[in-house]
Amino acid sequence: MRAILTYAITMFRRFLRDPVYIFFIFFFPLIFLFIFGTIFGGNNSVTFNVALINHSESEFSTNFVEQVSTAEDGVFKVKSEVQNLDEAKEMMSRGELDSIIELPTEFGEVQDGLPTGTMKVYYDPAQSQSGQTIASIMSSMLDEVNIDMTGVQPPLDVEQVSTGRDGMSQFDYTFAGLFAYTLMAMSIYGLSNQLPSEKKTGALRRIKATPFRPWQLIIALALVYTLLTAISAGVMVAVGVTLFDWHIKGSILLFMAFSLVSVLALSGFGMLVAAAAKNENQAGLAAQLIAFPLMFLSGVFIPLFIMPEVFRTISHFIPLTPVAEGIRFITTEGAGLLDILPQLSLVAAWGVVAYVIAFKVFKWE
Amino acid sequence: MTKNIIEVKNLYKAYGGKVAVDGISFNVRRGEIFGILGPNGAGKTTAMEMMEALRPIDSGAVTLDGANVAKHPQKIKAMIGVQLQSSAFFDKVNLTESLRMFAAFYGRKVDPMELLAEVELSDKAKSYPEKLSGGQKQRFSIATALVNQPVVLFLDEPTTGLDPQSRRKMWELIETVKARGITVILTSHYMEEAEKLCDRLAIMDNGKIIALDSPANLIKKLLARGFHKKQTREQADLEDVYIDLTGKELRE
Repeated sequence: MRAILTYAITMFRRFLRDPVYIFFIFFFPLIFLFIFGTIFGGNNSVTFNVALINHSESEFSTNFVEQVSTAEDGVFKVKSEVQNLDEAKEMMSRGELDSIIELPTEFGEVQDGLPTGTMKVYYDPAQSQSGQTIASIMSSMLDEVNIDMTGVQPPLDVEQVSTGRDGMSQFDYTFAGLFAYTLMAMSIYGLSNQLPSEKKTGALRRIKATPFRPWQLIIALALVYTLLTAISAGVMVAVGVTLFDWHIKGSILLFMAFSLVSVLALSGFGMLVAAAAKNENQAGLAAQLIAFPLMFLSGVFIPLFIMPEVFRTISHFIPLTPVAEGIRFITTEGAGLLDILPQLSLVAAWGVVAYVIAFKVFKWE
Repeated sequence: MTKNIIEVKNLYKAYGGKVAVDGISFNVRRGEIFGILGPNGAGKTTAMEMMEALRPIDSGAVTLDGANVAKHPQKIKAMIGVQLQSSAFFDKVNLTESLRMFAAFYGRKVDPMELLAEVELSDKAKSYPEKLSGGQKQRFSIATALVNQPVVLFLDEPTTGLDPQSRRKMWELIETVKARGITVILTSHYMEEAEKLCDRLAIMDNGKIIALDSPANLIKKLLARGFHKKQTREQADLEDVYIDLTGKELRE
């Protein structure tokens, strides 16, 4: 026991003396947080760059151009310098414009007391989504105008309602995934690299000549990496709370306990790679082979519902899925211990499997 | 107490059909410095690592202070001190911490300063091993091999790559270890070193022991076979000149 602790403390100190490691522990998750926090934080507003080409001289179309340019939320950023359709099309092909709105000469011409006309919304087939979004915003703007002018409310209508839960921001949802990913990255990449490099230098071989056993080494390293990842996770939470106003809906204690179990289990996979690999090259490759499918098939980055059926089925069985689900349920849905029991058991089971295999495949050199 | 601390019987090891150690047998006496000499690839290191319970034994047996090495590897590891051929230690772990860690592996507590003083590294107590010179590294590796007060100390090429001053310092250190009653087994490529240090030595070639005796007897036997060396009259050699000019002081 004392051997395990002494080794763990020595290794822990050693990491704190390594600037690269410090960077890895403290700044890697932060950089991540900042990148994704900035993308998904804030008010989520979307801006489209559009060119508005008005061929009409009517008063109505002049007003309409004015209305689009000053639309609320600044949804449209009108590039007023572009007045030529060909030029605009070229810009769109370079990705500088999301869409071109063209008002034909007869747009806004008054017939039977009401202005009429059809506008054209051009979009890049490569970005059909934004083209369609813009077209639908346009048509809803025209609908409003139509209602204003005719005073007739259409009998069938659509009302847009956001499904966001009370007080939960987009960042709160993103954070759950980011957090799960960070736990995995720290557990798998950090650990899997260290041991193989010591196999190469022979430092581990020297320990082999002492009575220290592989199981002691594995336990000690699991302790060290759990602690390091916990620090990293703590920093991430602290920054999430202070800079991005992160909320947790469930119990903070349950969140911490569940994260700890997750880190221990995920470290088992790093350990597996570390135990089996003979050098860093093997370890790097093996770590990617494990981390990539976990990353993409667990719903952390890519929503599971857009995946083919077969991937979704696989997803249920890979270890990062229950970690990500558990964290999301606790933080965004306020789940209690009983609610996440299936996730907790699955994570723990994966952990046991990983450590048993790591122990079996362990190589000293 | 038996006279022999180590008994090696028909020790054999092959790697994929290539025989590395070909059924060697010898005894090491308690308290002596025993040398294993031989060209590269003769099987010295392999033989030694089987005796250290670091490598599985294909066939044959090694008994160390009454314990069978293959059957009780943990017991053996607790009794011996080992310096490997390429000694590597954890970077960013200073010598004091490293010694404490090694002692913990044996369930012991040590006074790192006392051990460091023994190998003349007191002033390096807080240095990292990556900052040490070749000679200092080798001496430190002896300190780590002494944390468990071993009965046998194994040294694999302890002076390879060292300058003459460091080599002499290492010889002194090995003599001190012997004086404490620890049996020393070492491999070497240097005949001068073997002649000076070893009470008895085995010469290995192609996995076999081709001669085993004290250095003096080995020389006597050779002369008895009618060997004649071209007589030279010099009373000093180049190493004497070098040491005379640069002194015995360690440079590190």
